[in-house]
Amino acid sequence: MRSDGLILKIFGVMGLVVISVHADAGVGKVDYVRDVKPLFEKRCGACHGALKQKAGLRLDAGVLVMKGSEEGAVIKAGDVRGSLLITKVTATDIEDRMPPEGEGEALTDEQVDLLRRWITQGAVYPEDEKITGDPREHWAYQTPLRGEVPWGVKAEAGNPIDAFIAARLRSRGLERVGFAEPGVWLRRLSLDLVGLPPTVDELTTFEAACAKGDAAAAKARQQVIDHLVASERYGERWGRHWMDVWRYSDWSGFKNRLRGSARHIWRWRDWIVESLNADKGYDRMVMEMLAGDELAPLDADTLRATGFLARNFHHSNRNIWLDNTVEHTLKAFMGVTLNCARCHEHKYDPIDQEAYYRMRAVFEPHDVRTDRVGNQGNLLMDGLARAYDKEPEAVTWLYIRGSEKAPDKTRAMVAGAPEVFGGEYEVEEIELPLASYFPALVEERREASLKALRNVLNRAEKSLAAGDAKGDGANVVLLKLKRDEAAANLESREARMRADVAKYFERVEGEAFEVLAVAAASAERSHSLAAAERSVHEKRTALDKANVDQKEVDEAEKKPSAAEAKKVKDPVTVAKGALTKAERALKTAKGAVKNEDGKYTSIGDVYPKVSTGRRTALGKWMTNRGNPLTARVAVNHMWMRHFGAPLVENMFDFGLRSPEPTHVKLLDWLAVELMESGWSMKWLHRLMVSSETYRLKSVVADGQIAEANRAIDPDNHELWKMNAMRLDAETIRDGVLSAAGSLDLTMGGAPVAFLEADGSRRRSVYLQNAYEKQARFMVIFDAASVVDCYRRSASVIPQQALAMSNSAMVLGESRKLAGKISGEVEGDGGFVKAAFMRVLLRRPTKEEFAFCVEFLGAQAGRLGDAGGLTAFGGGVEATVEPADDPVERARENLVHVLMNHHDFVTVR
Amino acid sequence: MGMNEEHVENDLGEMNRRAFFSNSALGMGALGGMALGSLLNEGMGAESGWSSPDGQPHFAPKAKSVIWMFMVGGASHIESFDPKPALNKYAGMSIEETPYKDVLTSPYLANERIVAVDKNNGFMRTEIFPLQTGFKKRGQSGLEISDWFPHLGDCADDLSIVRSMWTEDSNHGAQLAFHTGRARVDGFFPTVGSWVSYGLGAINENLPRFVVLGNPLAACCGGKEGHRANYLGPQYDGVPLRIDPNDPLAYAKPDKSVYREEQRAQFEALDKLNRMAAKRDPHDEALRARIKSYELAYRMQMAVPEVVKFDEESEATREMYGLDKAKTKTFGEQLLAARRLVERGVRFVQVFHGSNGGAGGWDAHGNLKTNHTNNAAQVDQPMGALLKDLKQRGLLDETLVVWATEFGRTPGSQKSDGRDHHPFGFSIWMAGGGIKGGVVHGATDELGYHAVEDRHYVTDVHATLMRQMGLDSHRLSIPGRVRLNMEIGSPIRQIIA
Repeated sequence: MRSDGLILKIFGVMGLVVISVHADAGVGKVDYVRDVKPLFEKRCGACHGALKQKAGLRLDAGVLVMKGSEEGAVIKAGDVRGSLLITKVTATDIEDRMPPEGEGEALTDEQVDLLRRWITQGAVYPEDEKITGDPREHWAYQTPLRGEVPWGVKAEAGNPIDAFIAARLRSRGLERVGFAEPGVWLRRLSLDLVGLPPTVDELTTFEAACAKGDAAAAKARQQVIDHLVASERYGERWGRHWMDVWRYSDWSGFKNRLRGSARHIWRWRDWIVESLNADKGYDRMVMEMLAGDELAPLDADTLRATGFLARNFHHSNRNIWLDNTVEHTLKAFMGVTLNCARCHEHKYDPIDQEAYYRMRAVFEPHDVRTDRVGNQGNLLMDGLARAYDKEPEAVTWLYIRGSEKAPDKTRAMVAGAPEVFGGEYEVEEIELPLASYFPALVEERREASLKALRNVLNRAEKSLAAGDAKGDGANVVLLKLKRDEAAANLESREARMRADVAKYFERVEGEAFEVLAVAAASAERSHSLAAAERSVHEKRTALDKANVDQKEVDEAEKKPSAAEAKKVKDPVTVAKGALTKAERALKTAKGAVKNEDGKYTSIGDVYPKVSTGRRTALGKWMTNRGNPLTARVAVNHMWMRHFGAPLVENMFDFGLRSPEPTHVKLLDWLAVELMESGWSMKWLHRLMVSSETYRLKSVVADGQIAEANRAIDPDNHELWKMNAMRLDAETIRDGVLSAAGSLDLTMGGAPVAFLEADGSRRRSVYLQNAYEKQARFMVIFDAASVVDCYRRSASVIPQQALAMSNSAMVLGESRKLAGKISGEVEGDGGFVKAAFMRVLLRRPTKEEFAFCVEFLGAQAGRLGDAGGLTAFGGGVEATVEPADDPVERARENLVHVLMNHHDFVTVR
Repeated sequence: MGMNEEHVENDLGEMNRRAFFSNSALGMGALGGMALGSLLNEGMGAESGWSSPDGQPHFAPKAKSVIWMFMVGGASHIESFDPKPALNKYAGMSIEETPYKDVLTSPYLANERIVAVDKNNGFMRTEIFPLQTGFKKRGQSGLEISDWFPHLGDCADDLSIVRSMWTEDSNHGAQLAFHTGRARVDGFFPTVGSWVSYGLGAINENLPRFVVLGNPLAACCGGKEGHRANYLGPQYDGVPLRIDPNDPLAYAKPDKSVYREEQRAQFEALDKLNRMAAKRDPHDEALRARIKSYELAYRMQMAVPEVVKFDEESEATREMYGLDKAKTKTFGEQLLAARRLVERGVRFVQVFHGSNGGAGGWDAHGNLKTNHTNNAAQVDQPMGALLKDLKQRGLLDETLVVWATEFGRTPGSQKSDGRDHHPFGFSIWMAGGGIKGGVVHGATDELGYHAVEDRHYVTDVHATLMRQMGLDSHRLSIPGRVRLNMEIGSPIRQIIA
């Protein structure tokens, strides 16, 4: 790319144009497609393209450029001076210049020179250049239709997926390769569906069945698929995938201060796992995540789903919070980059800025709260983080250029969905049941709270009786005060509860309610007074004690050092301060008791009685059969994870920058299939993994078919073979633990702290996954970024090699597994075979077998010669000590080597 | 995909055991431009027409490595490199009462993007607070440097001080912004070190190209994203090293029971087995990359602890860096390690000073005098030592040293004896790597409030070092990842030799 002089290059992936200009620009022939078109697209496209045509001018195709604007031609071939376009881009007056101020910088000299030369050279462009149509006609904006399955000759036909794939293969002259060995297929399937390898028994049983002929093999495959899809491990495996897409993040913060996401958000994770295992419809899952609080306001299980919204909480700025909510809701469920329209009209898609703020208005009223779970009153310990509409009346303003400092107070936005995607967005306000807007008033909760206070009172009575019996005068005063306080507290709660019940339950109003309110307020003040009296007494006692202590210290002449004195405040001063404060509170309480008003504190938080219904409306709009994107996006996510490459390259942008995919017919067929199956994901998984395409080999020896195919489709876009994939972080870690039988299959609950991950045996989906708090082993293997992760990377870096060879977990598990195998088989030969099966789920080749047997002998010899061994020094303590016997230790080494083998971290 | 088929064939074909375990696989020869870690990243732009950088500079480089020192919390520009006698003259007065009251209505104030106003941040501090230390003219050039930095002052003739920096964030999110060029509220982006790591090949295949020393930024202010590569991929992340030969790097060593000979035999066996698999599937690029990653890992495991073995250094050197004194030991060790790293060909060494799990050690809202006296005493001698040491070894010409901080501090006090955050004008300096010595560039106004001459946003520092490294940032951009001009910056030409 360095010899061409001026070089303009289109980067196809996402349509961004990057322009690089070489030093000797100014010479050579201009190529319209290579040089000019990308320049127009990058610098002029936003206003003069298919989407918008300011002044009637389009610059996105040669013929349109020549057609000119409302003012006439902008280019005169061969005549630079007569070309208005050049005048415009070179205007020194900012008023006349193109691009105008605010839309971009002036063109560089090199860019202007390029245009000049193009004009001079005749402004030629290819005649067959395709003109982009109306953006509303973009493929992904049309409701997907179930096309006819292109059944070919019988031999190719597996299920409909195979027919679609075969049709494309035929059209491109590709020939599909053979099927993978049964064992390879089984390992692939098991890792794919449940994130764990099969056991050796499962493998040999399956192989035996497959050896009995095609029919038996087909039956065995079906049984395995049924078994795995029904396994609870499935929900954990695919739950983690969807947690990537839906941005699962445990709470983050500094000490106890919450900065992001929400405490106990793991309940949402458990909801995801459980919902998948129950094969809850994808449409229903979307609905519940967006509006579970409106759909089932009293169902704690469903409320967990709104963790999807709670996760976006951001401590410092509500705008960031809502921006994230809008951006990722649309990216995750619809593959729409609505966020691009926050500051200005979308540059590529037919979405204006108002659409962004209409979507924000959907979420404007909502907030997050933590409900009690069971009797746990301390919400730091446990609780249910959930969404609710806190301010149904909250107004959304359009922010000029996206700046929160510049709200346009003339434009209050009405909640709505972008029109270009069709469908009706219809809002219906939802009245909430009492238990939802005033949970403390639920009978169970009321009784529990009274019971707790009665217990406190009982205990206080008992202590007082015991104190009386002992005749401990000074203490009795305090015990009495405590008893009085407990009694007053109970009375206060009862009185306030009566008032609340009357008001919210029985709808008592007017004077009848006022009587109860006054009684409640009076009881509440009496309680405050009792509490203040007890507090003053305590503080006074403390001061007396401090005075006595001080005296003792003075007498012993033990003066603290200057540094200590500075650090520790004099206890007498501290006690005095506390007493003064308590006395002040007592004075206030005494004064308040004289009040006669009815201002009392309700027995719990009271939330709005209605929810706007905007989020429910959004869920309905998204999951409506006519929505062009929701099902397609879901199918694409599933397809990518099964087959190793997506059908639509950009997981979160199906807009105009995503050209129609080669397998659009397959995508649409699957999207319709998903919807018509009742949005059953398990149905779709079965369809995909029971296809013949899924059974193809990924390792293809050189040969005629392979070479011909590689020449036509080197990147396997057409799936003439299966893609090999690197396992994700979770599957690698779970695989190490499961090989040695150590994996702890406990499901659900609070996450394992990230610093304890190295020592934990739980499945990786349960490890803490928060901003700055991710297990390092996982991060090294490209764990999901908690900020967003629509697609994981699969890097290969040396730190991974270090983690696999040096982590105490992998070392320890290797040693454990070696011990197990040695207990089961005889001799080095038997050991090598068994180790390959246990770790790699395959038999060694002859060459591998011979090499490994030789290695065991040599390594045992090396380890037996203590004189030739050097300790590493440093490092952590071994979690599992190596064997003393050199022969056994060599075997541990071999298992460890196999855990590091490429085949262990790869799905073939 | 960045994997050059031909090179890989050669690598695998020619690689023998000796080469595999050799610690001296230096140079770019056989490895072409293939850099440590740029082995394979399947997530990125697989579409035709684009390939990742080939590891060659875009034009002739002046520097091979960067040492990037960052003072976390916000070091006062007024008491380090930008003396303002007016503050002593008007001490105790309100800015409105001085002839310079215009600073309070300057259009530059609009650049600020306040993240959160709380009792500590986000207000104008208008009561002028006098200088807390003196200044002297140092070196032939007579650069004015505060008395808190005597050792650095000895190297005045090697420094280019830029006194006209500005940034957007008036809170400590500015730490992240200084490394990514984007405000914290915009999210996370590749950092300056990762761009260098991404753009240039390795000189030494046995060490990471981008190393981080000292505590990373705290979570409040960008956290580990302050040295990460974000969308460039994890292979370009800064690799944190600890100054501890026994535990310098995550998973750098197996547990205590393992013998060197035992592990070496395991690596050899693994290599053999993976190569057998490669014969069966000669088209598996990931497998080739994995074989290579184990070779590199093995060598890194050996090479990394060696970097922090300071007993190889002379007594005089260790003393020069202040390793013998409690106050200077930590930063001294980090800078000595930095020198040893660049000496071995590491491209970018990022050294954090003052990261304390919160806003940072330099954040002197109160008691600035004690705070800065103390902090400066920790860094001054080691910094002076680094510059002298690089120079005496002939490394200063090819090593660009950067000293930076997220923002300066207010000319006014915070109704206390400290200064608040100040994004409108502050100082950084650079030395070596083709940067002029003894130069002051840019200026703030009389009060040190606004950068008024030759203003530079923080990414101009990035652009300057990228240029010295021979890289054109515009050419490194990745499809689908829009980089704002502001994110790239422009080189500060006036300080380039």
